[in-house]
Amino acid sequence: MKKQEFIAIIIFLFATIGVVVGVFAIEKYRLSKFYTVELIARAPEHGNWYPAKIKVPSGKEATILIRNIETVTHGFAIPDLNVSAGEIKAGEVKVVRFTPQKKGIFPFMCTVWCSDYHMEMRGELIVE
Amino acid sequence: MEKEKLFGLIDLNWRFELTKFKLVRWIFKSRWFPLLALIFNLSVFIIILLAGFIGGYSAGNYNFGVMIVWILWWVLLMLILVPFFSRMWCMVCPFPLFSDWFQRGKLFEINTGKHRGLNLKWPKHLKNMWVMNIGFLVTTFFSGFFTVRPYATFVLLGSIILLAFIIGLIFEKRTFCLYVCQVSGFQGLYSQFAASEIRHKDEEICKKHALKTCFLGNEKGYGCPWLLTPFNFKKNTYCGMCLECFKTCPHDNMGFFLRVPGKDLLIDEKRGMDEAWKAFIMLGIAMVFFLSMQGPWGILKDMVRATTLKGYLTFIAIHSAFSLLVMPGIFFVFSYLSKLASANKEVPLKKVFINFAYTLIPIGLGVWIAFSLGIILPNGSYILHIISDPFAWGWNLFGTANFPWTPVFTGLLGYLQGATLIIFYLFSIAYGFRLSKQTYPDLNQAKRGWIPMLCFLTLITLTFLWLYLG
Repeated sequence: MKKQEFIAIIIFLFATIGVVVGVFAIEKYRLSKFYTVELIARAPEHGNWYPAKIKVPSGKEATILIRNIETVTHGFAIPDLNVSAGEIKAGEVKVVRFTPQKKGIFPFMCTVWCSDYHMEMRGELIVE
Repeated sequence: MEKEKLFGLIDLNWRFELTKFKLVRWIFKSRWFPLLALIFNLSVFIIILLAGFIGGYSAGNYNFGVMIVWILWWVLLMLILVPFFSRMWCMVCPFPLFSDWFQRGKLFEINTGKHRGLNLKWPKHLKNMWVMNIGFLVTTFFSGFFTVRPYATFVLLGSIILLAFIIGLIFEKRTFCLYVCQVSGFQGLYSQFAASEIRHKDEEICKKHALKTCFLGNEKGYGCPWLLTPFNFKKNTYCGMCLECFKTCPHDNMGFFLRVPGKDLLIDEKRGMDEAWKAFIMLGIAMVFFLSMQGPWGILKDMVRATTLKGYLTFIAIHSAFSLLVMPGIFFVFSYLSKLASANKEVPLKKVFINFAYTLIPIGLGVWIAFSLGIILPNGSYILHIISDPFAWGWNLFGTANFPWTPVFTGLLGYLQGATLIIFYLFSIAYGFRLSKQTYPDLNQAKRGWIPMLCFLTLITLTFLWLYLG
């Protein structure tokens, strides 16, 4: 194989497999480095919050990345801890930061009427 | 070619060679071009596919795949690439890269031996635009999903890439691009209006060059992958601008020229029903797309997005009938009137029908440019968001992830669309009368025969003006 053919194949691999591996590597690093947990917002009939239970340590800042992957607006709030992300529009991503001082189990919920099952769009935050 | 001036201003035979500049010629003759551009484009499509897959059923407006393909790419294609640079998209299109590599066994170098795969010839009766016509029409049945559901865009693009590869395993060279690709057909049709062309520079040099390396290939490059004969190119329609002929010509006799837009419309070669129907289908689709995407009729949007099965099937039936039967049917009536008005009994009605169908190319392109303005001006700002956060993961690569939706110049949209339609209508008229003179041998017959077609073009233009401005 001549040098130029080899270079072309390397560029091709970088542009295809390299891009895919790079994207997931960056995302994995970013999530582990900057966020405590990633939370997916979906209406109950489409799977509800994922994960439905999230654990954060007490006394340390928690950073939750919330992704609305649906075509309707959702919201996010933990009333007991006075935490709210407000409206999260379709496809939007929001980040909430807070430092829970008390241990326990606190419900979080969607705050925007998103479907007929909106009232069931709830999850639990476990502060350990 | 007649020695006439378009609008009395520009010599129809005027052309300016861009490859006379050493840098441009060097780029065109290098084997790295368009390969590097193609690989870069492939990496963009990898991100598009990834975003489409990850995005799943989420909202399309925050998805890289949906926004790049249906807002940026489509608009670039219709607004800039096809009108100015012919089929330049095909030059950098990554879809056939995998089959090219498989067939040749090499990515960069030249394989002068036998190509891999079955290398079958495409069936003779399908060597036309019909497969592309139907393929594109069927693709538009799903338009209500592609633009709002990332996964649908993923499935569409993935299917095209897979199909390109499978056809490459079975059939020779770029058979997929030439006869199957949904994107290829309308580019081929409208590239006849493009303001640029690849042609030989000196006809005599080609005539004296017995070996025809542009068709057969040599150690510098492959014989035309599009199965054409570059030494006697006359129309842009099927030239995918792969630039192999620049590399294989030992006399440097191929050139890339700027030219008068629409020159190919007057080339009476390989005109046929397939291309005529392509023109009707594109006009029909433009009308249906406008009504369902940019119009105020919610019931149509519900039908296109398959809110109910009955509504969706109704949409498919009406859409197909309109593009395949109603548009050509109305055009047939006007063609018949043209023949009657000309009082020429010798010219076959089929020839009248086909020749005048080419008058729909400028106005058809104008309609699509106007439609594209209606996409990019209201929605273009989403692109700033998605280039910073391509997977809706909360990235902010360029600091524009939180750029709000900002429609631009939408107050002028109607005027811009109207002006576009009128300009391209004028092009249709300018070429239409010349086509009439090609169709009818006598000038008076041509004048009389032109009147019904002028009425049709005016009617079409007024209809779209009413839609866009009304």
